[in-house]
This record gives sequence, structure tokens and C-alpha cells, in this order.
Amino acid sequence: MTADIPQVLFRHRKPHRITTLAEYREHGGYEALSKVLGGLKGGDVQQLLEDASLLGRGGAAFPMWRKLATVAEDAPFPRYIICNADEMEPGTFKDRVLLHAEPHMVIEGIAIAGFAARAEKGIIFIRPEYENAARILEREIENARAAGFLGPRILGSDYSMELVVHRSAGRYICGEVTAQMNALMGKRPNPLQPPPYPTDKGLWGKPTVFQNVETLACVPHIVRNGADWFRNLSRTETGAGTKLFCISGRVNRPGCVELPMGTPLSELIEVHAGGMPEGSTFKACLPGGASTGFLPKKHYDIELDFDALKKAGNRLGTAAVMVFDQNTCLVAATVNLMTFFARESCGWCTPCREGLPYILDLLTRIESGEGRPEHVPMLERMAKHLWSAYCAFAPGAVSPLQSLLTDFRGEVMQHIEEKKCPFK
Amino acid sequence: MPTIIIDTLEIEVPEGTRVIEAAERLGIMIPRFCYHPALGSVGACRVCGVKFLEGPVKGVQMSCMIAAKDGMVVSTTDEEAMDFRKHVVEWLMVNHPHDCPVCDEGGQCLLQDLTISGGHGIRRYEGLKRTHLDQDLGPLLHHEMNRCIHCYRCARYYKDFTGYLDLGVLGSANRTYFGRFSGGILESPFSGNLADICPTGVFTDRPSRFKGRKWDYERRPSLCIHCSLGCHTHVSARYREIVRQEARPSEAVNGHFICDRGRYGFYYSDHDTRPREATLAGKPVGWTRAVASTTEKITEIVRQYSPAAVAVVASTRCSLETQAATKRLCIDRGFTGPAFFISTGQGMRTRTAVAGCTPDLAVSLGEIGTADFILVAGADPVNEAPMLALAIRQAVRNGAEVAVMDPRPVAMPLAFDHLPASPDDIDKYLEALAGGNGEDKAGAPLPVFVRSVSEKLAASRRPVIVCGTDMVSARIPEAASRLAARLKTQSRRPGLFFLMPGPNAFGAALLSESPNDSLEAVIEKIEAGTVRALVLVEAAPHRESPDRIRLEQALSKLDFLVVLDYIDSEAVGSADVFLPTTTIYESGGLFVNQEGRLQGAHPVHRGGLSIHRTGKGSHPPRRYDAGLPGATPRPAWEALGELGADLSRTWEGMDREAVLEWLSKKISAFSNLPLEDLPEDGIRLDVSSTIAPAAGATDKTENEEAESGIELLLSDLTFGTETLSSLSECLHAVEKPPCMVLSIGDVKHLGLKEGDRITVQLKNGTLEVNLRITERAARGVCILPRHRLLPWQCVGTGRVWVKKEQIKAQRHKGTEAQS
Repeated sequence: MTADIPQVLFRHRKPHRITTLAEYREHGGYEALSKVLGGLKGGDVQQLLEDASLLGRGGAAFPMWRKLATVAEDAPFPRYIICNADEMEPGTFKDRVLLHAEPHMVIEGIAIAGFAARAEKGIIFIRPEYENAARILEREIENARAAGFLGPRILGSDYSMELVVHRSAGRYICGEVTAQMNALMGKRPNPLQPPPYPTDKGLWGKPTVFQNVETLACVPHIVRNGADWFRNLSRTETGAGTKLFCISGRVNRPGCVELPMGTPLSELIEVHAGGMPEGSTFKACLPGGASTGFLPKKHYDIELDFDALKKAGNRLGTAAVMVFDQNTCLVAATVNLMTFFARESCGWCTPCREGLPYILDLLTRIESGEGRPEHVPMLERMAKHLWSAYCAFAPGAVSPLQSLLTDFRGEVMQHIEEKKCPFK
Repeated sequence: MPTIIIDTLEIEVPEGTRVIEAAERLGIMIPRFCYHPALGSVGACRVCGVKFLEGPVKGVQMSCMIAAKDGMVVSTTDEEAMDFRKHVVEWLMVNHPHDCPVCDEGGQCLLQDLTISGGHGIRRYEGLKRTHLDQDLGPLLHHEMNRCIHCYRCARYYKDFTGYLDLGVLGSANRTYFGRFSGGILESPFSGNLADICPTGVFTDRPSRFKGRKWDYERRPSLCIHCSLGCHTHVSARYREIVRQEARPSEAVNGHFICDRGRYGFYYSDHDTRPREATLAGKPVGWTRAVASTTEKITEIVRQYSPAAVAVVASTRCSLETQAATKRLCIDRGFTGPAFFISTGQGMRTRTAVAGCTPDLAVSLGEIGTADFILVAGADPVNEAPMLALAIRQAVRNGAEVAVMDPRPVAMPLAFDHLPASPDDIDKYLEALAGGNGEDKAGAPLPVFVRSVSEKLAASRRPVIVCGTDMVSARIPEAASRLAARLKTQSRRPGLFFLMPGPNAFGAALLSESPNDSLEAVIEKIEAGTVRALVLVEAAPHRESPDRIRLEQALSKLDFLVVLDYIDSEAVGSADVFLPTTTIYESGGLFVNQEGRLQGAHPVHRGGLSIHRTGKGSHPPRRYDAGLPGATPRPAWEALGELGADLSRTWEGMDREAVLEWLSKKISAFSNLPLEDLPEDGIRLDVSSTIAPAAGATDKTENEEAESGIELLLSDLTFGTETLSSLSECLHAVEKPPCMVLSIGDVKHLGLKEGDRITVQLKNGTLEVNLRITERAARGVCILPRHRLLPWQCVGTGRVWVKKEQIKAQRHKGTEAQS
């Protein structure tokens, strides 16, 4: 790691093991919580987060303060704060790395965010593949509780927080907050179309705030070091803070790195991922997980922050960058992604449940050389209509397809004309 | 009230109206699969997508999910919206079999309609179809999962609306499966509605499978007559046979659904044993000859004794026309009767309930859903009037609380508090609640349960009291009325809802002269020798009276027995003259349900012996006859009219018109009503001036001193106790095995245990029955179902007490030693 790159979340990360509660406290852990409980009001925390421009790191980039602020002053109790650790987006593994680095940072973030919404019941919803992380969390929650950072009347204040770990049954859609809400209530994890919003009527009809692991981990740092400090971490005006990037695909050093928001894609690949292998040139990447579009070469120098990607017609999503080189067939890559999405559809609405397998069938035909020219407009129209599905799953699922048809149309047509995959 | 423009038409709708509903009011049927008025909008199928051109939302949106707002301009014919809907249909057809000709839903399939109207004629998808294994869901529903389009209606109906949990959603993505965890008979007694709400052929009606297409059927609006609720139905006939019954939507009564007893209860009308020929001394004769012999014999008895020596006994399942005809016959000729009720007590309880149905207090079944607190006293909804349980459930879903006082282990698909109280205790508690007292008559403090009911009644805005009339005394419906009246004076909007013994018990009460007009009273007169001839009209006393031996002895004492019926009751066999009558499906008829709602059923078909019987398997089924085979039966009122005309020169026959004219002239409750042309939802009768409350009147059995021992109570079950539906073979498989229920607190000193086969020594014989022990039954009572498989008619009339030595467990010696 280059020395001048500011490290926040990974600063005290130990190689091969998690930091202990004592270690976490040594470098300022739980100071933010005691500061908050020592006299700040929920509104102060919200204001701080607003000033810091902290956007949700789970993919949707929704301002965290606004979510907290939508919990009405007179809303009923108990209120819930949910830490969304159901990291199912393909290519994304930052939450796992973070939980295995400093779990108390997340626990402290949950307690502070919970305080800001007067939520005294916390749940960490974690994907079943993260069993190790779940056990770590359970153990560290006990440690935090024994040290007085969780449980009744935290640090002698009138604020209490009961935090539990809930293992998901393991479906992509469970990461979607309304589906997660159903899952937590023991129902089928079908999404629910707001209104009501979870912050108004969430779990069992009570206000519920969902936040991603990484977002929550940022909170103690903002409280301790201030909003300006956090915003200035970013290399762009529009961004704020650092970001955990997950790099995979055709790079020499895949992995998870913490970089300032706005770090250019080219720098990410060439410096932080050790460049591409010998003989590989950049063709495209998925900038934010499987549900974002292919980012073509013309954007190779794009600054990776939410705003810039949005302007390019794409999304930063979970900042899971998958890099493809000139030898990768993007039709085959899309078939791979579509197989995943067709399988992971919850089955609630028709466009998603039936449209995705249909699209997969057409794409598979094109990839195997059975495609016909009329399949392309069919795919285009279906992809467009999938934006009228029930939740955001289907629009995300067709994002790679839509960019494939726009930016790599020639490659698609080549498959059809040559009646085979040109990469085979 | 927002105003919205849909396809250039403007309409003002109430706040909260969905765009799909607003369009419907304009006559624009936006396509739908998952949307259903009873189940609401969930936005799953996406086929109701329309284009929002102006207003707070824009673009293609689901019309079921968006409430109409001022300024909205909507196009249903917009190109983009049409293309989207076309794609939805194409997607739905990806896995749906292309075999409508062999699917029983074909012809009444919403998917078929929308596929054709949406123009999806050519299949573009070249991949394989996803397939599923089907389940055997029992005798009532056929399951074909490959046809599923995942509208979720079935699961939402089954779990959310009716509260049963054995059918639901399994799997995910396009492998989502609707069924049970494993095959088996569906537990819900409302399962048949799945066939109605499934928009395609996943759930189809099993008994009527492949009997015909919808367009083949003679299909008319009818009524269910298998309990007193009077649910609305559509009945379909083909080849002189009723083949299917479906729910007919009615806001006031049954909403969109009916129970399985009602749906499948019609098989009596084409039963193997249905008597279709007039008989004289057991031998088939022509109709005219049978009528002539009857008048001859009755004239002779009248001459020999007196007109009162001829008694007419009808029933609560007779149509109003038939009941009126018996009434006219008795008035004109001075006959005894008509009696409609089995016992004097039953008549009294019904009359008391009818008197309580004042327009300001009586609520319809539909209105129960608006209650915020429901007190059920002496009623077991699922078993006595199944659809009542669904109505109560809807109230609970809206936040109502429910308290039940009943000796039976009442089960309902909803959360409720239950006090297992004996009828005497219910009497005591209801009396205390009606009087607003904190203690009962004897000065004892009320149980916590009753005090809590009293508090909840006081705290509610819309309390509804549901009161049974089967196993309680006449004092209970009377106290229920007083309680409701008292709540009304406390500026609440109380409701009163009685259950009654039969689909036209209300009409019977209006036409009964006195509570003593009962079969029981007529039997006494036969025994005393004052009644010598009996005309039994559509009544099955052998089946329904609790003292069969006494009934048989009385009937054998008669000089003359005439029976009119459409089922082969035991009375038919012992009749001197039998005249076959038509069922509701052949003649239609008016019925007054338990809330006093007068409603009509249309004739569905002409009747006659079904082709599958006359054809005897020949193909094509042919029989060359001038007339309709097996069409001798006539409406009972017409048959009675003929008897009347024969007996009295002043009568000019008695067709339906004449009966109704007589009814509106002579019975004040029916005057000035459009009896020939009733509105769809019927007319609520105002009987407050017609019938006096039976307060103070006492059923002689009620004053019987409580004897030592356990009181035996007879009760009904959802399946297997009601006379007509008990003849439906397809329902036999869903019946629960009948057993006697005892409280766990009572069995110890009786030395019995769960599952024992016991013998009960009763007045007229010994009954063998399985024992069910529960802590949810009242102490001091045992409950016996009037089940078709039990010879319960040996119980005897009046209140019956069973002593310890009368009940014995049948155990093998070995097991006894072990226990």
C-alpha cells in the first residue's frame, strides 16, 4: 500500500487475525460512542452525518442521515437498527474483510446509529456463508456487552442496545432491505413496495433502519474526527470519505483495498491491483458488482465515486470492480451473470421471474452460435420492460445486458453473423 | 375525492381508490391476474401496467398499486403500456402448457382470455418449459402446477384470507411452487374457492372435472341452503345434472367465497336414491292418481274426525313458497300446523332470535368484518355456519378482538379467547352482561373472562354479538338482544347476528303461529290420537329428530302419511302416498337467511333424470321418449296447491305467483315487497312489528332440574351432520371421524382416556363412539355430533343427562391391565 493513501477502516487491520476489543480501544475505539452518549442528541449525530455526506455503501448510495431523519420523533417503540451483512453481490467481499479486521468498529457504528434513531434493538443480518464472521461477531458482541458498550444503559447513559446476529437462509434477494425485513419476520423474502418505508413501518410495524456494514463502520470515525475531515478524505468534490474497493478479474493482485473516494479506475487497476497480466489489455469492467453495467474503455480514467459513475450512466454500486481483458467474451460473461440473476429472482413478479430466464435463453443461443438478428431487438425491449418489475432487482440484473447491447453491440452481432463465439 | 382521467374519460372516485378500480367503474377492464377485490393489490403479475401521462407518477406503472390522485391522466391503450402487457403475457406463457383443449379451465380461464385478447398468438420462446410434479390435494381440488402463472392468489387467499397454513409458496425464482409440503387432503373447509380464484387451471374443481365447458352449462344464480347464512352461488347444470357450484359475489352476505359444504352440497339433487316417481302404498303410480288418493283419504279423515286431525309438518329447508303453501293449506282447511321446527325448543329459540333481528341491530355477514369486538355466545362458527368464521377472521385482520363462550372446543382460523362454558353458564353470564351486572343472579362474582368481555364491550365502538340457537336455551338469544340494545343506549353501534337452524328458519318463524308448532308437538297429538293424518313436506324427521323410536311409533299410529320430498328420507319408505318434489335447482325459490334477508334462487335447469343415468353408458346416450325422463317431481308448493284445489273448490291451483300473492296479502312482513323481482342482494325484512319477542315464554324442557351426571349436548360439524350435504359422496372423504367430546376435567372420575371406543347407554339404545378428550371443552357436558355415521337419534328429547355408569370404555382385557 502506498504510504500517502489515508487508511481509516483498514488502518489497524492485523494480518491474519482480527483486532481484539483491547486493541480497538487502544487506538480510540468506543471513544465516539462515549462522546455521543456523553451529551450529544440523536439530531446532532444526524447533522454530523449530513455534513459528512456519508452515503450508503451497500450499493444504493442513499444518504445515511436522511434515513435516520425519516424516523419520526414520536414514532413507536421498539425501533430496530439492522446491520446488513448479507453481502451477496457477485464480486463483493469488502464487508467480510472488514468484519474479519475490526468487528468492533461495526458494533460501535451500530450503537451510534441506533442511538441516533433511538433504536434499542439491533440485528446483524449475515449471509450463511459468513459463518466465521457470524461467530466472531457473536463473540465480540459478548465482549462489548461485558465491557458496557452494549446491553442495558450503555456507559451509564439511558440508552440501551440489544444486538443479535441473525443468519440468513441464503438468497441474493435477502440483501434487499424490504425482503430482508420479511426474512427477519420469518416470512418469504419477497420485497415490499414502499410506502410504507421501513423507517416508518418496518419490522413488526415498527421503525427500522437498515445500513450496510461499511457505512456503519464509517460512523465512529466521523464522530471522532469530524465531518470536514471525512469529506476531505475524498479526492473528488462530490465524494466523501474512503471506500473499500474489491478488485477481481484480469488483474495481477485481486483483493480488497481502502482508497479515497474518487480514485481513478486506471490508478486502481495499475497501482493498487498490480496492473493487468502480461498481454492483457483493458476491455471493460463492472464497476460496482454484477448489477451494474459494463464500463467500456472510454471511461478507463473515470474517478470512482457515486456521482461520476452516475454521470457516465452507470453506478458505483458496491465498488466491486471486475476487470475484463480483450480475450474475454462479454456475451459469455453476461450469460454467466444472467444465470445468477435468473436463479436468484425471488419469483414474486412476472418480468423478473419469467423475463430473466427468457433473456438467458436468448443470450445462451447467441453465445452458442444459434442467435438470429431478431433476437437483439427482442433482448432490448425485454431489458427495457424489466425496469417495470416490482423491485430494483430486475433493473440491476439487466444493467450488464443493456450496456452489452449498447457498448458492445458489435461483439453481439459478430456472434450472430459468425454463428459462433468469436472468442472460442 | 380525487378526479382522474382514464382514456379521456373523467371520473371522481373515493380517496384511496386504485386506478384499476377507477377504470372498472368506467367500464374499462384493465387486465389483471394477481389483483382480486377480496385479496387486494400486490403488484406481482404486472399485467395491469398502464401509462401515466400526467400527475404525480409518470410512465408505465401498475394500475393496481397506485391510488387515484387529482390530476392523473392515464392511458390504457398507450403503445408502450400495450407492448409491456403483451410481454407480460408472453412471459407468462413461456412455461404454461399449450394444451387448452385438455385443460378443464379452458373456456373460463383468465389466462386464456388475456393471451387471446393480448394478441400473443405465436410462441417465440424456443427453450424448454419448466415442469413440476403435481400433488394429490384430496377429492375436491385437482392440482396441475405446470399451468401456474404465479399470481399468488391461492396462497394469499388460503393463508392470509382464510388463515389455514397447509398450502403455501415453496421454492423461488421460476421454480416457485404453490402447494403443500407434501400431498394430502387440504385442511381448510374453504378450499374449493381455490378453483374460483385461480386465474388458470392449477386448481380446478375435481368432482366436476371434464363434465363440460362453461358454455355448455346452464348456469344461473342460486343460493346455498346448507346452513342459515344464505350464501350466494352460481349453479351449473349439464345434461340434466347439476355439475358445479361456485361462489357468487355478494357484498352483503358472503363476499367472494363460499365454504366447501355449500359448494359441494348439491349432490343430493341427482343422488342415486332420489325418489322421482309418485307412489301409492310403496308402488309407483301416476301423479294424478297419487294426488287423488291423497285428497280422498284426507277428506275421509276430516269427515270422520275433524280437519285438525290432519297435521302438516314442513321444515326449515323448504322454500318460502312451500312454507307459505303449507300455511295457506292449514289456514284454509283448518289443519293442524304447519310445523316447521323439530322441537318446541328449537321453534322458541328461533322465534326469539327473529324477534331480536330489529333493523337497527341486525348486521349482515359482510358487516361483521367492520366489528372491533366480537362476542360469540353458544355458537361454533366453522362447524355451524362456516362462512361466519371467515367473516370474523376479516374483522380480526382489521384489528378486532374475539371472545367465545361455548361448551365445545371451538376452533377457528384466527386468534380468540375461549371460555369453555356450559349452556347454563353462558345463560348466566350473558344475563349478567345484558344487565350490566358485576355478578350473576345468585350473587357470585363473574369469572375474569366475563369481566374482561364486559370491559372490552365497554371499550369498543362497533361490538357485534354472535349468538347461536342450537344448544342454548331461548333465554340466550333474548339476553343477547338485550345486551345489544343496552350497548346501543351507550352510544355504540352494536350489531347482533344470530345463527338459525336451517336456510329458511327465519321464514318458518314468521309463518309459525306459536312456538308449539313443532314436530314434537304434532307427535304428542298423534300419540294422543287427535292427529290421524300427517302431510310431511320436505322434512326428514328420522334423520333430524333426537327420538327416533318415539317418532316411528307415532308414525305407525297414523291412519295416513303423505310425504313430499326430493331426498330418500326414511319417511318416504313408510309413506302411504309419496309425491316427489323438485330441488332448489329445478324450481328456484325464496329463502330468508338468519339476518332476515329475503333472497331468491333462480331455477337452473328443468330437472329430470340425468343423461348419464338414462344413457347407461351408451354412446351417444339416447332414449326416445316424448317427455323428459324422471321429470315427475313438481315444486312442493305446486303439489300442495293441487291438494288444496282438490280439497277446496275455492282454490284455483297454486302456482308460484298465486302463493306469493297470498303471502304478501296475508303475512304483514311480506306486504309491499317486490317478491317476483328481488334485488341481487335481497331485501332485509323488517319484522319488528310482526313477531313478538318470546320473552317470558319458556320451553318446558328448560325448567327441568339439572340432574346429576353429565349433560349430553348435540352439535353440528362442518361436514357429515347437515342432511342434504351429507349425501355428497365427495365430502365423505373430508369429514373428520365423528367422536364424542369430553372435558379432561370430567374423564378422570369416569376412568376414560383419549381415543377410547366407548359405549353410551341412552334412553333408546346404546351408542358406540370414539372419545376425544380436550381441555378446551366445558366441564359437565359431553358433546355428540349429529353425524350421519352415528345412530345419535337414540338420545331422546329434552335435556339429557348421562351418568357415570352409562358410559363404558370398550377395552380388550390386555390393554385394561396395562392402563
